[in-house]
Amino acid sequence: MAKLTRESFDTLVHQLSEKRAESNWIKVGMSTCGIAAGAEDVLNTLTEEAKKRKIEIVIKRCGCQGMCSVEPLVEVHVPGLPDVVYGKVDKACAVKILEEHVMAKKLVNDHIYELRTKR
Amino acid sequence: MEKKTVFIKDTNRIVQAGKDFDTHFLSYVREVGLEEVVEVTRVADIGIYDQGVVVKIMPGDIQYAQVKDTDIKRIVDETLKKGNVIQELVCTKEPKQLRVVLRNCGVIDPDSIEEYIASGGYQGIKKILSGMTPEQVIEELKVSGLRGRGGAGFPTWLKWKLTREAQGDQKYIICNGDEGDPGAYMDRSVLEGDPHSVIEGLMTAGFAIGATKGFFYIRAEYPLAVERIEKAIAKAYDYGLLGNNILGSSFSFDVDIRLGAGAFVCGEETALIASIEGKRGTPRPRPPFPSVKGLWDKPTAINNVETLANIPVIMTRGGAWFAGIGTEKSKGTKVFALTGKVKNSGLVEVPMGITLREIIYDIGGGLISDKDIKAVQTGGPSGGVIPKEYLDTPVDYENLQKLGSIMGSGGMIVMDEDDCMVDIAKFYLGFCVDESCGKCVPCRIGGYQLLRILNRISQATGTLEDVDKMKKIALAMQKASLCALGQTAANPVVSTIKYFEEEYKDHIVNKKCRSHKCTHLLNYSIMQDKCKRCRICVIHCPANAITGDKEKGFYVDQKICAKCGKCFEVCRFGAILKE
Amino acid sequence: MINAKINGMPVAVEEGTSILDAAGKVQVKIPTLCKHPDLPPGAGCGLCIVKIKGSPKMFRACSTPLENGMEITTHDPEIVAVRKTVVELILSNHPNDCLQCGRNNDCELQKLVADFAIRQEPFEKSLRDIPKDTSTKTIVLDPQKCILCGRCVKVCQEMQNVWALSFLERGFCTRISPAGDIKLADSPCIRCGQCSNHCPTGAIVENDQTSDVWAALQDPEKYCVVQIAPAVRVAIGEAFGLPIGTNMTKKLYAILRRLGFKAVFDTNFGADVTIMEEGSEFIERFIHGKGELPLITSCCPGWVDFMEKFHPDMIGHFSSCKSPHEIVGVLSKTYYANKIKVDPKKIYVVSIMPCTAKKQEILRSEEMFASGMQDVDIALTTRELARMIKQAGVDFVNLPDEEPDHILGDYTGAGVIFGATGGVMEAAVRTAYYIVNKKMLPKIELEEIRGLKGVKTAEVSLNGKAVRIAVAHGLNHVEFVLDQIRHAKAKGYELPYHFVEVMACLGGCVGGGGQPYGVTDELRMKRAQGIYQDDRGKQLRCSHENPLVQTLYKEFLDKPLSAKSEKLLHTHYKARPVYAK
Repeated sequence: MAKLTRESFDTLVHQLSEKRAESNWIKVGMSTCGIAAGAEDVLNTLTEEAKKRKIEIVIKRCGCQGMCSVEPLVEVHVPGLPDVVYGKVDKACAVKILEEHVMAKKLVNDHIYELRTKR
Repeated sequence: MEKKTVFIKDTNRIVQAGKDFDTHFLSYVREVGLEEVVEVTRVADIGIYDQGVVVKIMPGDIQYAQVKDTDIKRIVDETLKKGNVIQELVCTKEPKQLRVVLRNCGVIDPDSIEEYIASGGYQGIKKILSGMTPEQVIEELKVSGLRGRGGAGFPTWLKWKLTREAQGDQKYIICNGDEGDPGAYMDRSVLEGDPHSVIEGLMTAGFAIGATKGFFYIRAEYPLAVERIEKAIAKAYDYGLLGNNILGSSFSFDVDIRLGAGAFVCGEETALIASIEGKRGTPRPRPPFPSVKGLWDKPTAINNVETLANIPVIMTRGGAWFAGIGTEKSKGTKVFALTGKVKNSGLVEVPMGITLREIIYDIGGGLISDKDIKAVQTGGPSGGVIPKEYLDTPVDYENLQKLGSIMGSGGMIVMDEDDCMVDIAKFYLGFCVDESCGKCVPCRIGGYQLLRILNRISQATGTLEDVDKMKKIALAMQKASLCALGQTAANPVVSTIKYFEEEYKDHIVNKKCRSHKCTHLLNYSIMQDKCKRCRICVIHCPANAITGDKEKGFYVDQKICAKCGKCFEVCRFGAILKE
Repeated sequence: MINAKINGMPVAVEEGTSILDAAGKVQVKIPTLCKHPDLPPGAGCGLCIVKIKGSPKMFRACSTPLENGMEITTHDPEIVAVRKTVVELILSNHPNDCLQCGRNNDCELQKLVADFAIRQEPFEKSLRDIPKDTSTKTIVLDPQKCILCGRCVKVCQEMQNVWALSFLERGFCTRISPAGDIKLADSPCIRCGQCSNHCPTGAIVENDQTSDVWAALQDPEKYCVVQIAPAVRVAIGEAFGLPIGTNMTKKLYAILRRLGFKAVFDTNFGADVTIMEEGSEFIERFIHGKGELPLITSCCPGWVDFMEKFHPDMIGHFSSCKSPHEIVGVLSKTYYANKIKVDPKKIYVVSIMPCTAKKQEILRSEEMFASGMQDVDIALTTRELARMIKQAGVDFVNLPDEEPDHILGDYTGAGVIFGATGGVMEAAVRTAYYIVNKKMLPKIELEEIRGLKGVKTAEVSLNGKAVRIAVAHGLNHVEFVLDQIRHAKAKGYELPYHFVEVMACLGGCVGGGGQPYGVTDELRMKRAQGIYQDDRGKQLRCSHENPLVQTLYKEFLDKPLSAKSEKLLHTHYKARPVYAK
């Protein structure tokens, strides 16, 4: 890894901005509050089940959202649907998210805690 | 028609207004044949509270509140089909949170330096290393008005200036990640969720004061935070954003991690320094201040995690932008750990000047039960309680201090009638007594004696004299303790006595704890009209305090009763009165 | 210069002066407790708080420097009320044991409480339930009385560099104990007693053995003899209200006889003998090349223990000569016993020392039993003797002067200066110079090695060769000297010093751990002046001139370093573990 200079830094920023257009992704909150609530299991379930069902989706981790009382939190981005953040996600709910939201393009009831209006 | 999503939530706290509202809505959507393009979803939370049924339509971000069943037709016909906004129903609740410190938390992968850079990370340091002088950096901080977020609220630019001006062949910058306030975890979330922002802030501080070496002092109870920072530091070194000649400039900066070892007092600057030096973690008299004589006797600046996380944004967006947020003397935002009897507990970041009421009700969703709010505790063990009369106080450093509390690191605990003020004072004082380093008399012995008195009050052996004794000890602790732990340890006691002296007197004179928290003041008795004389309580009572027979009934002998509450627990008929 | 106001009065002081010291300049006394002039301010107790105009806080006067324009209030109702609460809090954690305590009438806390006129205790007593540590049989630690001022820890760690005491636990459970919570006897403790000297209360006292001495004096089977160390005579007066440094030598001889001792000797005699032996030792090494250089003095048992534990590589440099009181002890039971035809087994030797480490020294090794039995039976400190005198019902201060038993009691000026730092070296040089150069030193007082500077050096000429001497006192100053020596030896350079004197206690024995409680530079200096005055008052000022010493050699020992001297007056050293287990 070559050390960055001011110029190569700018180049990198440019490269990264071009890379940004992704298709489907899911972010799982993996801070201590999330992990304590079971986010690790959720992350694993999402990864395995997505693989099983051959779903094209990037599953990432992120930090603490702030809504710590409803962890595990999972943000879902599927083009054509609003970005939402699901809370109190357990393994069953994780599967629901994949089957309903990602595959059937139908949001899961009673688990949405935040609507991402701006991106 | 473009695909639309309708989100529905009944936001009333107590009585639910919209039973089956979503079913009705969906059925009308079907009636008009729009089920292919309109999706109706029930959400768990919509960010608005106590506004009846709320309907939000995306895209377009249209939000209606106090919606009745009778409005469904209008909404579908006008708004969904034609795109017209129904003004009377519109609910314009502005988002109250402003995420500056937490800008990347929950957004980027903390382990990815590239995601951080893609979100604008390290632009601040790049700007600085493209020709700014340390004095200019300090000036930008001055314009921003940023004050230390660890609790003291000392102007950050001034701390950096004093350290810059101090004489020393080597200077140090330390990030204080010892976050010890019980219930506060803002710093942890930032360290775990956006470690690079703190690294960038630390580097900037180092540049400003002339330090080439920085330390992260993180409490050992945060292993994940330590791990994330460790990884982030390694990545930064790989990219040349730490180490020698950063970004090709003449500025070199190295960072090391030091762990705490379970001492709250080591969050205090001089005790933290002693801890890093390998000595017993006790404070030193000041002056000399760390900015002149700190780590290994060299000029040292110590900044809190949240303070440092603000720095990159201030450098990229400018101090003036930052100063545009907040109040006259308290600029910027503050992250609070909102917990207690509030519906949505978690981290909230709000601009200074927002009222407590807005935080608790508009963001926190109001109280979790149907009980009335009693008070809000801010500032952790160094802070005080703010009774409900003052909920409309704009939150900033000065206002909270005037009320007898402090901003502190950001703990905010909502209390209702079930919270006993004596118990709260006992909890916080007990924490400080446990964590006292023991060096100075007022904190070590004063705190202990104060706690003893509180214990007696909550165990029905307090006297009215005790209230005066507590005030005496509190004054000595406040004035004569060596460090802020001792100086502020009595704050919860003083504050609760100030606003809830009647409650203390109730405990002392009437031997009553109306919140039913102080077990020794509880009275368990059997309500004869409800009692089925099944004897389950008799069997379970560990003190054999329940006597009687099936004919005459059973009674609790108050003299023997150990107030354990077992009878209350086991009675299936609700016949035990707990008061 | 800093200009400010204290209680409305203008003061002008040097930059860096604390508010506490500045207040003293206008006769304002701010109460303190944990502060000690020997140590940097601990800032623990919270008594010295004052107000500075413009701030709602209170500041510690001991550690806050006075700055230009400050307006200080040292006493107002609020400040006094807070201070009183602080004292009341200390009392709630301290046993009401004054009447039975070893520091009754001589305690800093007692005085403070009396000055504050505390008449009742508003807070519940909460004492530590920790037993005393009597393991060393020399120093007694009583954690119940400890007020955690931290002086002993600073003294043991920073002043003496021994690190036997430290703080354990935290908060209300804080206590002072050797690290690892082991017994003091198992720790690096060298029994120097400096902790007890600096302790403001009865938490650290010496092991009081006066009852053993009373019993011996009452025992018709025992022939009790006593000796007094040089430093004792200039300090004992303080326990009787006399000015510091008053020389009570002749009255001490008198009181000791009244107490019942059959013979009263003087350790200074032993000092003169030490010089004969050690001076000869030095000449052997320096002139005749037999043995390692530099030669390091060994009459200080604290220093010997320190060396054996921390610097055993220096063992070969140590003078094998015993300390003066051990010499008098062994001679009492051999030379003296023969002279008066008393069975040596009946002789009971008591040493009155300014030192707590002597209580351990007398049991140090087999060589302390060279007479066939324990050479010195018991060592008492100056403090214990003061108590005995007070119990004896004698008007000590007004006693007529008396003489010692000359046989082991007469001394020269060189003998008495052992009590001050630099004294052993000066005495040795006076004699060595004479023996080698066959004439007396042109200036008999070696001023360059007197005084309180941590390390003092000088140079004298023996037979045309330059002898570089060094004097160190207070063990934190010693490492520097030793490292210089080690470095020179390793590199094959010329030695920085040929002869080194080390005293464990700052100031030398006048500042010893067994001297009256509370030691300061002023006390060290004034007591030393008393000693030097005694030296000046002597007609004979060099050890070799002592006629009774000459007699001793002629009739008994033959000559210095003779076989008999080696057997009776010399000892050996060995490396010891720093921690006993």
